[in-house]
Amino acid sequence: MVVAAIKNGIAILVLLVLQLELFSSLRFFGVMPELLLAAAIAAGWYGGPIGGAVVGFSSGLFYDLYLATPLGLNALTYAIVGYLLGQIATFLSDEAEWIIRITISVVAVTIGLLLFVTFGELIAEPNLYNRSFGKILVVASLYTGLLMVPIHYMMAWAFDATRLFSSGFDRRLR
Amino acid sequence: MAVPRRYSGSRFTLAILVLTSVTLISLDARGYAPVDNLKKAGIIIVQPFRSLTRIVFDPVGDAWESLTNGDELERENALLRTQLDELLDYRIANEGAVNDLAALRTQLDLQGLGGHDTVVAEVTAGSVSNFDPYVLEINKGTQSGIREGMPVISTGGLIGRIENPGLRDSRVRLVTDPTVNIGVLAIGTKEIGILTGNGVDQPMRVVDGIPISAAVEVGSILVTSGLDRSPYPEGFAVGSVVEVIPDEVNLEKELLVEPTGEMNNLDFVTVILYQPPGMD
Repeated sequence: MVVAAIKNGIAILVLLVLQLELFSSLRFFGVMPELLLAAAIAAGWYGGPIGGAVVGFSSGLFYDLYLATPLGLNALTYAIVGYLLGQIATFLSDEAEWIIRITISVVAVTIGLLLFVTFGELIAEPNLYNRSFGKILVVASLYTGLLMVPIHYMMAWAFDATRLFSSGFDRRLR
Repeated sequence: MAVPRRYSGSRFTLAILVLTSVTLISLDARGYAPVDNLKKAGIIIVQPFRSLTRIVFDPVGDAWESLTNGDELERENALLRTQLDELLDYRIANEGAVNDLAALRTQLDLQGLGGHDTVVAEVTAGSVSNFDPYVLEINKGTQSGIREGMPVISTGGLIGRIENPGLRDSRVRLVTDPTVNIGVLAIGTKEIGILTGNGVDQPMRVVDGIPISAAVEVGSILVTSGLDRSPYPEGFAVGSVVEVIPDEVNLEKELLVEPTGEMNNLDFVTVILYQPPGMD
């Protein structure tokens, strides 16, 4: 339990620093990937609904420190997305092909961004729903999808999931 | 056949996390000081890791920018060459403008940076969010005398104001943000309007306040008005008018304005240590 928490902390810190220092510059069409949302999604996959929700909350909270939006907005969104992915993943085989995982992850990123903007609009946060929203949704989802494989590996390591098949992991929590 | 696993207590965990998030959002939106301090403490904890990785990733970011903006730089170069040729052609005709500018500066009592103390800060990062591209991060904070709302300038004029300053870093909210409003005065006239940001790469707008008969034309320079309750000192260039749209119904002019301050590829900015009267 403690080891998993430390590993997840390291994974979140690495992804946060990459998001802030590397991918904020490496933009496609002015859009960057959502690595911390991806971490919540992958955590849901390997850690189940609880793991997804807790990692999503933590990663969102750390990301919130650097944003002008209220503290907790990303945490709320990522926790819900991590939880939902955890629920969905319980119905999927451990041997699910990568293409299935990536597709589900990309859809989850899109849902996460939609949720984030919806919650933001509900509390009257400015700038979230803007004329670039469609572009952000499409590019961020696809760009994050490109990076999902290493993030899946990272979160599989954090949750101590071992690789059983060429296509999948044994997600039983140890 | 996959057998669904059961995770007992997952709904309860989610409910606790959602409640915590909503509480934090509510407290932060109300400006509850401990939450603000929590944010600053979190930033300080992560800062050493950011500084370390910045050494490695800064060159990568620069290389990416030169790679992705190569065509744009070529276009900009060609445009600048054309503009230079035009400027050389019209230099003699416009020599009188230098004298006019000196006269206008005298008229507006503009001397240097208005006699205010300044702090030069390094731009450490641009926006780190997809949804809020109107911010910069700088490496100076309250330790250097920077306070909330202080104006920030770069080459050419005002670019934003300080938001949420930390001990050793601050965020700059750019004037292009649609939520930013600035009281401006058109140089050479007494016309005052409210300039509003209009998004990235979009001209800012002055929708109200300029009568249709006013002598504000394309090329007019707008400066901060510094009127009562304005958070900005007077006389800092904000933008130049690029289009005038007459509104025959309201007998006003709508102005489209390009910012004069450089906002792209900034390395350093200057913070004016100015606080409006009553906020000291």
